[in-house]
Amino acid sequence: MNLQLITFLVMVAIFMLGCFLLKLPVSVSLVLSSIGGALAAGEGFPVRHFVEGTFSYIDTILIICSAMVFMKVIEASGALDALCSLIIRKFHKHPALLLIFIMLVIMFPGMITGSSTAAVLSGGSIMAPVLLTMGIDPVSVAAIIAMGGLMGMVAPPVNLPAMIIGGGIDTPFVGFGVPLVLLAFPVAIFSVLFLGLKSVRQMDYETVAPTLNQELSSQYGFRIYLPILLLVVLMCLTKIVKVIPDVGMPVMFLVSAALGLFTGKKIKVLDAVQEAVHTSLPVMGILMGVGMFIQIMTLTGVRGFIVSVCLGLPEQLLYLAAAISIPLFGAVSSFGAASVLGVPFTLAFLNGNTIVTIAGLSLIASLGDMMPPTALAGIFAAKVTPGVDSYTSVLKRCAVPMAVVMVWGLIFVIFSSRIAGLIG
Amino acid sequence: MLEKIRAQKTLISVLCLVVTLAITVTAGIDFYQFRNYQEVIIPGEGVTGSFMLSEYLPALEGTYGDTMVYVMEGKTEGPSMLVLGGTHPNEPSGHMAAITLVEHCTVDAGTLYVIPRANNSAFTHNDAQEASPHFYHIQTASGTREFIFGSRATNPLDQWPDPDVYTHQPSGQSLSGSETRNLNRGYPGVADGNMTERACYAITELIKDKEIDMTVDLHESSPEYPTINAMVAHESAMELASNALLDMMLDGVQISLEPSPSTLHGLTHRELGDFTDTLPVLMETANPSHGRLRGATNEELVLTGKDPYYLKAAENGYVWVPYDETGVSIEERVARHLTGIHYLCEEYGTLYGKTLSIVGIPSYDELFNGSLGDYLN
Repeated sequence: MNLQLITFLVMVAIFMLGCFLLKLPVSVSLVLSSIGGALAAGEGFPVRHFVEGTFSYIDTILIICSAMVFMKVIEASGALDALCSLIIRKFHKHPALLLIFIMLVIMFPGMITGSSTAAVLSGGSIMAPVLLTMGIDPVSVAAIIAMGGLMGMVAPPVNLPAMIIGGGIDTPFVGFGVPLVLLAFPVAIFSVLFLGLKSVRQMDYETVAPTLNQELSSQYGFRIYLPILLLVVLMCLTKIVKVIPDVGMPVMFLVSAALGLFTGKKIKVLDAVQEAVHTSLPVMGILMGVGMFIQIMTLTGVRGFIVSVCLGLPEQLLYLAAAISIPLFGAVSSFGAASVLGVPFTLAFLNGNTIVTIAGLSLIASLGDMMPPTALAGIFAAKVTPGVDSYTSVLKRCAVPMAVVMVWGLIFVIFSSRIAGLIG
Repeated sequence: MLEKIRAQKTLISVLCLVVTLAITVTAGIDFYQFRNYQEVIIPGEGVTGSFMLSEYLPALEGTYGDTMVYVMEGKTEGPSMLVLGGTHPNEPSGHMAAITLVEHCTVDAGTLYVIPRANNSAFTHNDAQEASPHFYHIQTASGTREFIFGSRATNPLDQWPDPDVYTHQPSGQSLSGSETRNLNRGYPGVADGNMTERACYAITELIKDKEIDMTVDLHESSPEYPTINAMVAHESAMELASNALLDMMLDGVQISLEPSPSTLHGLTHRELGDFTDTLPVLMETANPSHGRLRGATNEELVLTGKDPYYLKAAENGYVWVPYDETGVSIEERVARHLTGIHYLCEEYGTLYGKTLSIVGIPSYDELFNGSLGDYLN
């Protein structure tokens, strides 16, 4: 048995022991696993490497924290209830179309930021009350939001896994629009209809109407929606028309949240911020732990060992290996999976059309955001949906759409040349 | 009972805080020292002058983006060449080839400009999750020399945060946000842009002002990447590069030539050819120490290029270079770069009638079979 395999087994064993036997937080288990891995590989206690790895997710952590503050503010101000009431009133006669429209709203922030977390925490949190009011059970609502986040991350104009893989082989992000549209939107529409249509068809507006809070919009008027509108405007101005410098998602969330303090019900700022930080702290901890974990995997050679095992499979099994290993590695980071495994697999599939292959692999890589322990899309979808206790139920509910994602992505990878020929 | 639990909780909290502080301070000292480490380059007698890149953009002065430009002027007039080492400081053979020129060579005719640390800021940190060593060491006659193994990109302390998407100027090309800190995606540069774009701008201005005839940008890539052991040339430099390539092949150095893609913007071999009169060529050698298939990441891998997983990948047909248990040593990688530079100078003379004569470049065989330290001060 080689050293890397032993180190890998030690890391996995410590992680499982910490999580399941000692019931430690996932983040602490990752830290202990990293320390164990370094010791097993004879690297001692490399403090620098432990800390350096955690820096990978600083930007993501800031987005998560600021988005959570925004969400708590618009929830407390009444903007969420008011918007939910407005949408149901206007569109209840066309539930299927409404579902698709809601899916697009959830996807939108992901489409322009490339982040499923941003989509779930902004679009998802805004649409959760609407979906619940339409009669969809909480777990399915969270599943719709999670899938929306994933598809938003894949859909153009911004797809970071595709950009990361392309950057690894000097392929500019040009010509990806059509393949990504064909990959993301059919799956998104299928997912939302599969998870929600049955419940919405049974929606009786007369029963729902009394539960809608219509007082808020009459009391505060249009201004109650201003924080949400400001966020959408800031995103569009910085990322689509690009007329003002990109100030970054955290600033956009915080500015919009600040506006929310004056547009609706009175808010206790400290309570809202404390609650937001408290809610997002476990995930922030996981991300830090994951960064440390990957750094130690790289230092000890475990990362190379895993990539080598995947690429060492017989040619016929390579597609299957890509479809399984990329999402599994996504358990530590979907962007990391795109870089560490997406690039070598793309190089292995170079006989096909490169752009369609990368696009297909990016769809598969998006599943990484549903893999525990990080499972950013799943965890945050559960957090923004009232009535969902555990994100594992959300992941189970997403099983069929996730399988469709995997198969759809794989079809694009295997038949990349033919698909490229069809779409010109 | 309740008080006991509270006391225990407080004790654990204090303990966690102390451990966190200790780790933070230890790591903080390490990062601070690495950021401010002064790498020593000992100019040889061939160096006739030097200046800071900020001469071409004062906004760079006093920042980590500023870097030293070494001038090696010959006794007689002739063509000029700019050599860029350290565009990506995690590709050490480019850095070391540039240092070898500065420390060991002289110029008879023409002028050689060398920037060993093109992206100076990227020498002040390592990439998270890459677990790179801070340094590698080379034995020389004057003792053990220490050189920096840095990052592919500008330090986020100098340029942060990255946008979600990097839009290259002036082409409007979109790349992932982290590429905004990649020097070789920022050309021709932006005078009032971010630090990376400014450094690119200053280098472009230097080329224009000095009317530099040839520019060679030295790189390394992972063995699984197709553009490897290769020259990439702008269409204006294609004839020069192809002649040099033939010379190298006659010397037994296997190398390929690729045209600069017209749709891939921001790179030296595209933009310097489009925006200046220089003939730009980029060279790539194989470096397993920043590949995705590598095993344990350490100094030995950087210097020897020996890796069991790349050996396996080679057996499975996943690498684009000849690779066996002898690895790809730093000597071999530096030798490829220096041989390329030598023949580019020679062929420029053949094509344009003026030769840049650099004396002291070790031959490919001398360096391949010898030690890099023999050519350093």
